[in-house]
Amino acid sequence: MIQNNEILVMDKVDFSYREKKTLSNISFSVRKGEICGLLGPNGSGKTTLLKCINGILNNDTGSITIQGRDVAKLSREEIAKLIAMVPQELNMVFSFTVLQTVLMAGSARFGISGIAKKDDCLSALEILEELHIEHLAERRYNELSGGEKQMVLIARALFQKAGILLLDEPTSHLDFKRQYVIMELIRKITREKHLTTVMTLHDPNTAGRYCDRLIMMNNGCICHQGLRDKVFHVESLESVYGMRINMGYTDTGAAYVHPAYEQ
Amino acid sequence: MRRNSPFVIITALLVLCIIFALTAGQYDIKLATLWRVVTLKLTGQIPGDDLAVSSMVLWSVRLPRVLMAILAGAALSVGGVVFQGIMRNPLVSPSFLGVTHGAVFGASISIIFLSKSALSIESCAFFWAVAAVALVYAIGNRGINTITTLVIAGVIVSTVFMAAGSFLKYVADPYEHLPAIIFWTMGGLNNVLWNNVIRALVIVSIGITAICIFRGKLNLMALGDEEALSMGVNVKFARIFFMLFGTLIVAAGSSSCGIIMWVDLIVAHISRLIVGPDHGRLIPFAALMGAVFLLLTDTIVRILPAGEIPISIVTSFIGAPLLGYLLMKQTRQWKE
Repeated sequence: MIQNNEILVMDKVDFSYREKKTLSNISFSVRKGEICGLLGPNGSGKTTLLKCINGILNNDTGSITIQGRDVAKLSREEIAKLIAMVPQELNMVFSFTVLQTVLMAGSARFGISGIAKKDDCLSALEILEELHIEHLAERRYNELSGGEKQMVLIARALFQKAGILLLDEPTSHLDFKRQYVIMELIRKITREKHLTTVMTLHDPNTAGRYCDRLIMMNNGCICHQGLRDKVFHVESLESVYGMRINMGYTDTGAAYVHPAYEQ
Repeated sequence: MRRNSPFVIITALLVLCIIFALTAGQYDIKLATLWRVVTLKLTGQIPGDDLAVSSMVLWSVRLPRVLMAILAGAALSVGGVVFQGIMRNPLVSPSFLGVTHGAVFGASISIIFLSKSALSIESCAFFWAVAAVALVYAIGNRGINTITTLVIAGVIVSTVFMAAGSFLKYVADPYEHLPAIIFWTMGGLNNVLWNNVIRALVIVSIGITAICIFRGKLNLMALGDEEALSMGVNVKFARIFFMLFGTLIVAAGSSSCGIIMWVDLIVAHISRLIVGPDHGRLIPFAALMGAVFLLLTDTIVRILPAGEIPISIVTSFIGAPLLGYLLMKQTRQWKE
């Protein structure tokens, strides 16, 4: 159930890569327990926005606060305890096992050495069991399929034990079934573990089905934002993607969109 | 195989190599003699006339050399692992970032302009090796992709120091200075004294201990800057930390023994193949493995019937084919 307390607040955030302005006047807030989807065409600034939230990129102006704390004033360890990030993909030069990969996420809690203890291993195995991937624990990450890798990255983010999950296009490399499995999993863990999830998505239908709140971006600006039912309509999507879109309804009454195909 | 078996085996191998290195050589020392000399020394007694020569050979010649081989082998190997980890590249070694050419330049400066004494050569080589990496960091730590710019800066600085080193060789006195420079660049532990060992022991112990304490963070650095940042690592600080201590230990090893090729690259690879990429296990294993590799190689070059040859020749002859064999074996496993 969505509570009325804001956990993530962005206020008039600007960001530029050298001279090129990538984010402009970004203001929004996400409440605890929500799943917030960032929608928009390629290059609209969604991934940059996630990196600013996580403090990987430093915004030029404006403020980003997590649980009332300014991200710019937090240390990397403090940010890691608040926010876990699931990248689009992870390219490993040295092939760590799945268990080692998951354990790394606890580094901020393990003290200066960053070395996991036996209890940490058991805790990581419990998370793998929870996601039904415990059989992958000793496999090399580089040998896994795209879907398995995504599950491992989600397990790793859960092991980080942060309250906010950031996911960058979590279903972009997955087949039809895996997309469904991963999105159901994200919804389940967000609800059961009382997390707050912010993710970038390419498919408006996935966003419409799984997100409580939507933020639609284009050219580094927010075009539309609000609760899903208020924002998920043909006009907003057409203006963001610059194309004609039709909307239909499933038997259960859920809205879905598709391009207005020419006959 | 149990999880700790590789550590047990490599430690046992190190002990065997130490015994072999202490007993083998032109002056043959029996195992029983070694035992007697060691027990006498440990109990504070003075060896009798029958053990005087053996005792002198052991304590003044072989033991410092054995200890230096262990220290230099561990330092070079851990340095290799550290640089490969922070650069996310299994082909990077400290020499890529200017350590080697900086040390050669420093040693040449000392031999030509200052002094041919071990202390002077060692200090100059150490200083210029560290200076070369500092220069690499100053040039390369900017831009979006820091790792790539650091590697390119390493190539630039190495090339400049190599050219400067070649110039010094060109102008060096061909009878007095040039042979000394060339001999130093081929590496060797034949002139090691207790003073060298103590100096290297202090720097290498501090460096490896510091790296070991923070070794878990190297796993995250090996995933890339953004991953490391996401999981709580202050990447800028961590990179300076690991480059500093990695350079210090490699420079300490190189300045005492000259340039010993391949140890850093080959031992890092072999260790990773045996215990995996987790730096929690990789760093201590590579230290032991490097110690065994260099001690064994040094003992082989010392006992060759035709007389001692520079150690780099042997490390290259062993290292390069061994790495090729391991890579072929690994590729076969991937195909299977």
